[in-house]
Amino acid sequence: MITRNSLNLTRRGFMKLGGTAAAVAASLESRRLVAMEQSLGGKDFSAVTGAERQAVPYTCLACNIEDGGVAFVENGRIVKLEGNMDHPNTRGKLCAKGNAGYLHVYDPDRIMTPLQRTGKRGEGKWKRISYDEAATILAAKLRQVIDRSEREGDPAIRNEIVFKWGRNRTGGAVSRFMHALGSNTMVNHTNICESSKKVGLEPSWGPDIESCDWANTKYIINFGSNVLETAYFMNPNAQRLVDGVVANKAKLVSFDVRLSNTAGYSDEWYAPFPGTDGAIALAMAHVIMNEGLYDADFVRDWTNVTAEQLIAHLKPYTPEFAEEESGVPARDIRRIAREFATTKPATTFSYRGPCKHLWGAYQEAAIHMLNVITGNVETKGGYCLPRGMGWPQPEPNPPAGKVPSVLAKPPLYPLASHAVSTNVPYMIMKGEAKVSVWMSYYDNPVYAYPSSHLWKDFLTDESHVPFYVSFSPYMSETTELADLIIPDVTYLERHDPESMPSGLYPCLSIRQPVIKPLGGTQEFRQTLIDVIRKVDPDEALGVRKYFAFDTVEDWMRAHFDNIPGLKEAGGWNALKEKGVWPIYGKVDQETAKLVDRNGNEVEAEYGLHRKRLSASEIADAEIDVQGTIRKNGHAIGVSINGRGHVGFGTGSRKIEIYKEGWREYGFNPMPVYKRLASREKKPDELVLTTYKVNVHTQSRTSSLKVLAELYHKNPAWMNPGTAAARDITDGDLIRVTSPLGYIVTRAHVTEGIHPEVIAISTACGHDAYGRLAQLKHREADPEYALGGDPDVTHNVWWDDKGVHPNPIIRLAVDPIGGSQGWYDTVVSVTKAEPGDMYGDVRVSTEQAMKDYDETLRYAYTGDLHRAAHKEVDVDWDNLPKPALSVGH
Amino acid sequence: MDLSQNTVSPARGGATKCEEAAVSPAGGHGARAAECDALAGLYRFLGRCLEEEVDADFLALLTGPLRPALTEIGLVLDDSLVQSDAAAFLASTAEEFTALFVAPGAVSPYRSVFEKGRNFQEPCDEAIAAYRQAGLEFQNRYSGEFPDHVGVMLGFVGWLAEREAESLGVADEVAADAWRVRRETFLLEQLGPWAPGWCRRARILAQHAFYRQVLELTERVLWHDLQALADRRRFKELERLNRRAPVRLDYDADFRKASGL
Repeated sequence: MITRNSLNLTRRGFMKLGGTAAAVAASLESRRLVAMEQSLGGKDFSAVTGAERQAVPYTCLACNIEDGGVAFVENGRIVKLEGNMDHPNTRGKLCAKGNAGYLHVYDPDRIMTPLQRTGKRGEGKWKRISYDEAATILAAKLRQVIDRSEREGDPAIRNEIVFKWGRNRTGGAVSRFMHALGSNTMVNHTNICESSKKVGLEPSWGPDIESCDWANTKYIINFGSNVLETAYFMNPNAQRLVDGVVANKAKLVSFDVRLSNTAGYSDEWYAPFPGTDGAIALAMAHVIMNEGLYDADFVRDWTNVTAEQLIAHLKPYTPEFAEEESGVPARDIRRIAREFATTKPATTFSYRGPCKHLWGAYQEAAIHMLNVITGNVETKGGYCLPRGMGWPQPEPNPPAGKVPSVLAKPPLYPLASHAVSTNVPYMIMKGEAKVSVWMSYYDNPVYAYPSSHLWKDFLTDESHVPFYVSFSPYMSETTELADLIIPDVTYLERHDPESMPSGLYPCLSIRQPVIKPLGGTQEFRQTLIDVIRKVDPDEALGVRKYFAFDTVEDWMRAHFDNIPGLKEAGGWNALKEKGVWPIYGKVDQETAKLVDRNGNEVEAEYGLHRKRLSASEIADAEIDVQGTIRKNGHAIGVSINGRGHVGFGTGSRKIEIYKEGWREYGFNPMPVYKRLASREKKPDELVLTTYKVNVHTQSRTSSLKVLAELYHKNPAWMNPGTAAARDITDGDLIRVTSPLGYIVTRAHVTEGIHPEVIAISTACGHDAYGRLAQLKHREADPEYALGGDPDVTHNVWWDDKGVHPNPIIRLAVDPIGGSQGWYDTVVSVTKAEPGDMYGDVRVSTEQAMKDYDETLRYAYTGDLHRAAHKEVDVDWDNLPKPALSVGH
Repeated sequence: MDLSQNTVSPARGGATKCEEAAVSPAGGHGARAAECDALAGLYRFLGRCLEEEVDADFLALLTGPLRPALTEIGLVLDDSLVQSDAAAFLASTAEEFTALFVAPGAVSPYRSVFEKGRNFQEPCDEAIAAYRQAGLEFQNRYSGEFPDHVGVMLGFVGWLAEREAESLGVADEVAADAWRVRRETFLLEQLGPWAPGWCRRARILAQHAFYRQVLELTERVLWHDLQALADRRRFKELERLNRRAPVRLDYDADFRKASGL
């Protein structure tokens, strides 16, 4: 027995005991104290008081992925953002942009009160006014257009009211507003984004994007996507891609002109010549079909072509042909094709690399076909349809304007279902359309568009744009040119309905104010209500009823309170509490998979196209010779082996590899490869490509200090051989010249790029967007010297804000998909000339106008279109006449 | 004479005692009360100048009752401009006010931005706490206004001085001293560390003579009062704090490759 007297109370004894205890520490630690981080999020505590912080769920809008987030609020102030563990597709994770998003709220360069221009347009002279005064001014301008339309009996006049957005996640609010005004002129940004990917996919199988089952796949071919850093659904896709590669041992093969972080993470990386991904995909299809590696049943049952037709069509696209075009060895193309076809399940993913070219839609259709012929569509671990959910619009909902808009639906691009926003200023400057009121929302074309200087000229000229109102809370290069600014709040202070198909679990989510709009600012939705009430004060126009919401929250309730399932769960109130619906399960702490209460994985649903039609649905339906089931003139499904399935969202309800709608306008109805003009460049010229980085959006994040510190300059990537041939070394000043003019930037010499390519990232080189984006505090000290912010004072160690390449990028529109050909500009690169200064930009507006004329030659009515499509069996002299689309 | 359209207003149920006191007959502390009244007027004037744009009523004061005193201290309005076209004067000062204090890139008039680089941070809480202790609450008149606006804070100093004067008017020296302590504490702790330096920077950037003069006057008044309140060591500290400006770190272009990657 140990007695008190027997204790050896010496330091040596203590230390000995301590040392022994340390060796078995794991078994001695308190079982009641756990690290906060181990709770996997959802809670947070004040570092000062220890009190639990208020957690408010929201949906991110730092970029377009719409991840689920939770804001932690202390003393009415957002102190931290993190992922929402209840969101089934983003599973509690935010990217760097998302984590930094709260800095948008407190940015001292945020516009927090309406501003009315007092000087010349773009001169930077303003006076502040109230939201009510601003709404009155805008309403009066809109009413003038409406009254003129009524007076002259011409509803087309209302299309002079233009709404241009870069990011519209309002869940129908903008359409409601514009339709209430009688205008169809809503212009999105999609053609500078991935519209030709969408148009390559939509007529093929219905939706505009794929949702790969990365986590369960065994083989991935990545065409031109930097999915681990950027691209569509980056955060959820990146998580599941890592799950697939690490946990499921999937092989990842990337084709990218640049060694992106995704390419670097791949098992194999190939750098093809820009715009030749389609040739590679077609060659792979050639191998798969000719070697009998295709899924014969799937091709027979679910496509509108036969295996024989495909083999015949693919005959010229040999791996050797693809090697000649792309530079990728034929033996590798052949091997990868065999691996892809014989490793099950497998999937492709593609993003801007293939589609952001002239004829980009062909390239996307070719890549899509690889999944079809191998039968990987809608299989576990395969290439799946996107899964989203809808919500109803509150009634009454205004009808569309009476007259189609030439700007929103340009007649020369009848297949471009996502419009051609790049062409809008050219069309107006050439008198093809007229503007009276121009409104912009989340839009910065003066920075973000090709030949961006032309947009500045356009918006500065009051003869083209008589009145311009911006709803931006930030003074962007574009908003600087406004006559009136009615600032929206940031995405953490407002309401929006959301549903993004960012994974295999369909869900609804919301944005809600996690704090009261800062400093009495007003959310956009309320501004729309106020403006309509002022446009129609006495209900004489009959449009006030479309905005009869007492509060913005009432508007949201009208969306969500009556959705079956959600209604029983609590409707809008349930979404306010959780931020997302349905709740599929919990994120397992070990595997990060979604599990139910018993710990079993919640399986996603596959084979959506195989869902059976019910007897009542089939009743009175007809089946045509192709097997398409039609009812009341609409295709509702497809009959296979006597069974009715819902099929795909196409006219035949099958996957349409052959697209008759393309042939009608002289385009090849099958996926083909067309050699681009850049492929014919001179030997000493290079192709200019751009790319996004993991901590920035295109334009909006350069003002956030933590992101600006991570990435703020964008030297041009050049291959060592290419640089040496020009006597250029890393860090040298270089001049990059296109037909539009030149920029002066610096070289980053690296093996990680194709020798005939120069790559410059976006997100840098701002002339506006706050003091950090411009490094104004250094350029004009003390103009921006605000004092003691220790970060800005001591930690802004960089003197380089980068150089933006867009002014020298030429307008080039895919005549099918309408996409801007971001990667089609051919440039010469030399060492900078005497007198050149870093950041110099010299460009021509006249040349930009010539580029517009040139790109129209590729439209379906143009001479270059016909010359490039001699193989198409169509009556070239009787193509459909350009026509305005009915409705919107 | 109410110079201020101050956005700090009595809270519901608060400050009643002060207001009741204000209607009581004047007591015997005439000189100090008069001094406090003058102080109240001065700070309310400065606060009004910086808190919001000049409007017609304020212009009438500037060109009327206030004119002799302003002229005496050197704040001279351009007669020809003001009298020939008051509307143009109001428009030009409104434009300048927006450029200087409101629009992006302005010299943000908020202590939070000065101290923390962001709007609506802890200095806001400190200002609100001081207002509440005095029975006031902050209400913005335009969106994007916060409690730690330099104009509002100056106006609050004036309000405190007025309360002190009122207390003296009813011979309540204990209350007067309490108001004085509040005023001096607020001046030393919430305005002293940044407002004079902010005035200096804003004055450098001001393009309109009116604001250049107002900002110079405000800086001088603040330094004068701070010097009277602070001991030597504290005053030196305030001088140092008000010299704060971004430090330009030496940048070695060769240290990082152009790629920086």
